[in-house]
Amino acid sequence: MGDATRSTALVALFIGIAAIAGGYAAAFISGGTPVWAAWLLALGIPVSLAAIMILGAARGRRGIGPLKLPFVFVALVLVIGFVAALALPATEGPLSTLWLGLPARAAIVIYGVGLLPIVVLPIAYALTFETQTLSAEDVERVRALARENQAAIESGATEPMDNQRRG
Amino acid sequence: MIQTASVSALLQVALPNAARPAVVAVGILYFAVVLGISVWAARRTRTARDFFVAGKGIGLVALTVASVSVSVSGFAFIGGPGFIYAVGLGAMYIVLPAAVTNVMGAWVLAKRMRLLGEARSLITIPDAIGVRYRSRAAQGLSAVAILVGIVGYMATNALAMGVVINSIFGVGLGWGIWIGMGVTLAYSASGGILAGIYNDVFQGTLMALASVLVFIFVLQFGGGLGEISRTILAHDPAFLGPWGKLTPLAALSFFFVFSMGSLGQPQAVHKYYMLRDPLQLKWYPLLKTLGLVLVLLLYFSVGVGVKAFVLSGRLAPLASPDQATPALLLNVTPIILAALVFSGVAAATMSAANSFINIGAAVVTHDLPVAFGRRVKNELRWGRTVTVLIAIAAAITAQRSGTMVAFLGIFGWGLFASTLVPALAVGLNWQGATRAGAMASIATGLIVTLALETVAYWKVFTFPAGVTASAVAMVSSFLVFFVVSWLTRRNAPTEIDPDVRLVMEL
Repeated sequence: MGDATRSTALVALFIGIAAIAGGYAAAFISGGTPVWAAWLLALGIPVSLAAIMILGAARGRRGIGPLKLPFVFVALVLVIGFVAALALPATEGPLSTLWLGLPARAAIVIYGVGLLPIVVLPIAYALTFETQTLSAEDVERVRALARENQAAIESGATEPMDNQRRG
Repeated sequence: MIQTASVSALLQVALPNAARPAVVAVGILYFAVVLGISVWAARRTRTARDFFVAGKGIGLVALTVASVSVSVSGFAFIGGPGFIYAVGLGAMYIVLPAAVTNVMGAWVLAKRMRLLGEARSLITIPDAIGVRYRSRAAQGLSAVAILVGIVGYMATNALAMGVVINSIFGVGLGWGIWIGMGVTLAYSASGGILAGIYNDVFQGTLMALASVLVFIFVLQFGGGLGEISRTILAHDPAFLGPWGKLTPLAALSFFFVFSMGSLGQPQAVHKYYMLRDPLQLKWYPLLKTLGLVLVLLLYFSVGVGVKAFVLSGRLAPLASPDQATPALLLNVTPIILAALVFSGVAAATMSAANSFINIGAAVVTHDLPVAFGRRVKNELRWGRTVTVLIAIAAAITAQRSGTMVAFLGIFGWGLFASTLVPALAVGLNWQGATRAGAMASIATGLIVTLALETVAYWKVFTFPAGVTASAVAMVSSFLVFFVVSWLTRRNAPTEIDPDVRLVMEL
């Protein structure tokens, strides 16, 4: 499950980056940047950002556990924000209806893309921290290994950093 | 997050002379506090570990405020609002990624960097790359990439400090550079990162306070955001379109480079080593994001507000977009608020300079010798010496060649992003990444960034609208990293030590 999550995230990251690369490559086509180049970025950016977060958050067999929902939510918020900005007609004018002080398309981007993730992601990170990110037991396991490394160095046995020298 | 553009912004801005008694008084008070903190920190710095990663670590709140402070340079106060004034809401795509970057950094890097630091007593970013791939060559190559980026940042930050200090005290640009660099050097060389962190705390608090006060003032002066928008929509509706006056590709490019690229900024990533208790990471992304939002309120409110004030005739038309903040402060706001913001800008540039000096000194005295299989005997003494040399070199470069300094400053963010994100951020989370993939990716990022920025700067080649060298370099570096790691995948299992594997699996 965990490996499957990481593998899927890696594939998604590669696809997201490839889509962004495709968008940039299209901009070099003679005759001007095609409209779909921006669409590739609008989809590729949320996919790659969500993928790299999942890659970082995936944990052994547990995968990303309860973090599925926040990640899906944020990816959707970014996609919807960018797609709405691209697809909705430009109606900004003196008589525009304002949403929290901004015209509709701008409000979707500023409040949706710029603020909604703040309400969800850091809170999800904190609420799942012990189960999904780091527990006192995890820290102790690493500290025990560090003590073993230190003891090995002091006894003249293998210095961990020496292992690098093979490179 | 927004160091790159700061450079060009602060270089091109001829900030008006703001040397009013209140501005000078607040400026002097600011420098006095900085020096006081530095003296205190110098007494607590006894080892190289104290100097480069603050010894036994920093508490959560202090580290968060410090991290906000180094993430935001003078661009957020001067160049950024000017950029919004010029191109409308499209300029917001530089700062919108702040909603995800901090928590993304926490999931992708913070835990693993902090635990690797615990397991191996690491003190630098190249240390982490060297340990991850068990490769001195990878450590050395990443160190070279960081050093190249720092050369640009340091020269431009030195010049930016000169511009700001000249504006506050009216001492001339040359003296401004030496005074700013002298004070920064005093605390960098004496107290190392410890002085830097606690000065960052003071400076970040100052920046947040100035930003919030200006935000409130602009909204009150403009009759609320709705009234400000109505004024703009009556004259220039495209300004408040979702891309402003940028193309969608250009705006989205900003979002990509400043979101994904944040994972490779050493001044922010380096901070993960310093948290005293790794379990305190729990609240780090939330606190840092909230801090950044406060500091960035000025960016949005001044850019949009000044546009409305000029369109409605309440403020004279600006000589250039970069005058948006100075024009508002010196003509509309109470002078004490202007004083706070000018000191905030000085704080932002000094904070960034200090952080880069420290990282540069660590590269020279630690990473490069390790890459060649050597150790400097007294890293603390050499760290201080190299700190002085970097600062002097930066000040001299800043004074001697404006064109070259502008060029150097352009590519810092993109260079860090394209050289470090795949190898570090993906590499610490993917056991299939290989040493060859990491080195090819770092080299690709370095070469593509330097080549494309050079041809673009000297106008040998013009990129299509919306395409930037930084974005192309980062995408290239990612693809090379994946392809080369896949081609050399048989080596992957042998290139990770057991303790590093444990940290990657947690």
